[in-house]
Amino acid sequence: MKRYWWLALIFVGALILPMVIEVFWVHIAIEILILGLFAVSFNMIFGYMGQLSFGHAAYYGVGAYATGLLMVKTSVPLPLCLPVSMIAAGICALIFGYFCIRLTGIYFAILTMAFGQLMYYIIFQWYSFTGGDDGLQGIVPPDFLFGATAYYYFTLFIVTAALIIMWYISESPFGYTMRAIRDNTDRTRFIGINVRKYMLINFVIAGMFAGLAGGLLGPFNRSVAPDLCNWHQSGIPVFMTVIGGPLGFFGPMIGSVIYTFLFAFVTGFTEYWPLVIGVVITFVVLFVPGGVLGLAEVRMKILRSKRVKTEANESLDMESG
Amino acid sequence: MDFSLVMAQCLSGLFRGMMLFLIASGLSLIFGVMNILNFAHASLWLVGAYFAYTFWYLLQDYGFGLWLSIALASLTLAAIGWLIEVVLIRRVYDRELPEQLLLTYAMVLIIGDLIKLIWGVEDRIIARPPLVAGPVFFLGTPFDSYFIFVILIGLSVAIGLWLFLKKTRYGHIVRAAVFSREMVSALGIPIPRIYTGVFVLGIFIAGLAGAVQAPVGSITLGMDMAVIIQAFCVVVIGGFGSLLGTFVGSIIVGEVYAFSILFWPQGALVLIFIVTALILIVRPWGLFGTPMRA
Repeated sequence: MKRYWWLALIFVGALILPMVIEVFWVHIAIEILILGLFAVSFNMIFGYMGQLSFGHAAYYGVGAYATGLLMVKTSVPLPLCLPVSMIAAGICALIFGYFCIRLTGIYFAILTMAFGQLMYYIIFQWYSFTGGDDGLQGIVPPDFLFGATAYYYFTLFIVTAALIIMWYISESPFGYTMRAIRDNTDRTRFIGINVRKYMLINFVIAGMFAGLAGGLLGPFNRSVAPDLCNWHQSGIPVFMTVIGGPLGFFGPMIGSVIYTFLFAFVTGFTEYWPLVIGVVITFVVLFVPGGVLGLAEVRMKILRSKRVKTEANESLDMESG
Repeated sequence: MDFSLVMAQCLSGLFRGMMLFLIASGLSLIFGVMNILNFAHASLWLVGAYFAYTFWYLLQDYGFGLWLSIALASLTLAAIGWLIEVVLIRRVYDRELPEQLLLTYAMVLIIGDLIKLIWGVEDRIIARPPLVAGPVFFLGTPFDSYFIFVILIGLSVAIGLWLFLKKTRYGHIVRAAVFSREMVSALGIPIPRIYTGVFVLGIFIAGLAGAVQAPVGSITLGMDMAVIIQAFCVVVIGGFGSLLGTFVGSIIVGEVYAFSILFWPQGALVLIFIVTALILIVRPWGLFGTPMRA
C-alpha cells in the first residue's frame, strides 16, 4: 500500500478543500466528483473490457431519474434512493447489455449508442411519468445536506466508497479476467471462461455505478432533464477518459477535473459551449494522442528509458524465446 | 383499417425509407471503405437542408428555384465534405477507434453550434413549387406528390450507386477497398484519393438528402438527432458496407415507423429499436452483411 500514499493525501486535501475555497468552487468540485464517478464507471467497460460504449449516459440518466422520481413523488430519503438508482440502472444495463455484448468494436459503440438514444426517447416521450421535455423539478435534498458544503462531503464519501469498490473489482480475479478478455478474447474463451457472462456482469456493474453518479446529480442540480441520457452526454466520459488516459484507474477522474474546469471557465462568457468543447476535442485528438496522462507517461519514459532499456530488452528476449 | 389507409401508410413508409436510405447509404459506404463511423453524417444532412433553404431564399422568384437550390446545396456539401476529409479525417486514418469516434463526435458539436450561429434558432420553411405542392392520386388514394419525388430520388440514387459500384472501374476499386485495402494499395492505387472520393460522395448524398428533406416540413435545429439514430439502425439491420442491406434496412425502418404511427405514435422509435434488436439476435452482422471484421 506504500505506493498509494498520494491517494490518501488527495483524500485529505479533498476533505480540507471546502474550507478554503468559495461556494462556487465547491459546486464545481461536486460536479467533478459526480462526472468523475460517471467517467470511471465508463472506463470499466472501455479500459478494462476494451469496448467503447457510446451510450453510457443512458444508465447515468436512468439513475438520475430513479432518484429524482422517488424524491419528487414519494418521501423516500435520499440515502435509500441511491441504491434504487443503482438497481434501476443495473436492470437497464442488463437488458441493453444482453444485446450489446454480442458485438465488439465499432458495432458495440453503435449499439450502445442506439440503446442510449432509445432510453432518451422513452424518457422524452413518457410525459405523464417522467415529465418529458420539462424534466423533473424540485428535487430537494434533505435538510442536513442542503448546503453546498454538506452536499460536497456527502458526494465525496459516496464517490470515494464507489471508487474503492470499483478499484477492488478491477484488481480482483474478475478484473483480471476482464483484462484478459480485452487483450485476447479467444484465448480467454479457450481456457473455459464464459466471456459473454463476464462481459455482461461487467457491463451491469459499470451501469450501476453510472446510475449512482446520476442519482447524486439530481439533488445537486435540484432537477433532472432528459438531456442527461442524450448521446451528447455519452461523449463526455469518452472525452474525459481519452484526455485522462484509459489505462490508469484514475485517468478518467483527471479528465473530469480538466473537463469540468473548462466547462466552468468557458460557460462564463459564451453560450456556445459545444462549439468550444468540439474544437478542444478536435485539437486533443489531432495533437495530443494518449491524453494528458499519456503525455506525462511519454515524458517519464524518456527519463526512465536509459535505466530500464537493458532490463526491458532482457524480458522481451525471454518472452520471444 | 381500410385499403386506402394501408396504401397511404405504405407509401409514406417508403418515403421515409428512401430518405433514410439517402443518409444511411453514405454512412455505410464511408464506414465500409474507410472504417470510420461518421457521427456527423446527419449533422451534415441538416446543413444540406439549411443550405437548400438559403439558396431557395435567394432564388425564390424563379420557378426553378427549388430544383436549382437542391443541386447547389448538395454541391456545397460535397465541397464541405472534401474540406473535412482533407483537414480532419485524413489525420486519423491510423488512429484508434475512440479517437476517430471522438473526432466525428466533436464535429457534431461544432456543426450544431455553427448552424445556430449562422441560421439562428428559428424554424425555416420552404414553400414548394406548384408542381409538387398538391396531392396525386394513387389507386384512388390521395398522396403527397412531393413524397413521390423523394421516392424517385431515392430509387435513382440507389440504382446509380449500384451501377457505379458494379459497372465502373472506380466502383470496382471502391468495392475492392472494402475487401482489402492493402491489396488495392499494392496494386498502385492511391488509397487516400479513394478515401477522399468516397467521403465526398457520401457527404454529397447526405447533402442531397438534406436539401430534398428541406421542403417536407420545417427545418429545425436538432432534427438530425433522431435521424442519425435511425440511420444507425438501418445500417445495423442491413449490415455495414452492404448497399443492398442498407436499402432493405431503410425500407424496413421506414415502414415500421409509418405503421407504428397508426397504433402507437409515441412508440414508433422504440419499435424500430425492438426490430433492430430482434434482427441482431438472429444475425449479429445484419441481414446482408458479412460476419464481422475485428
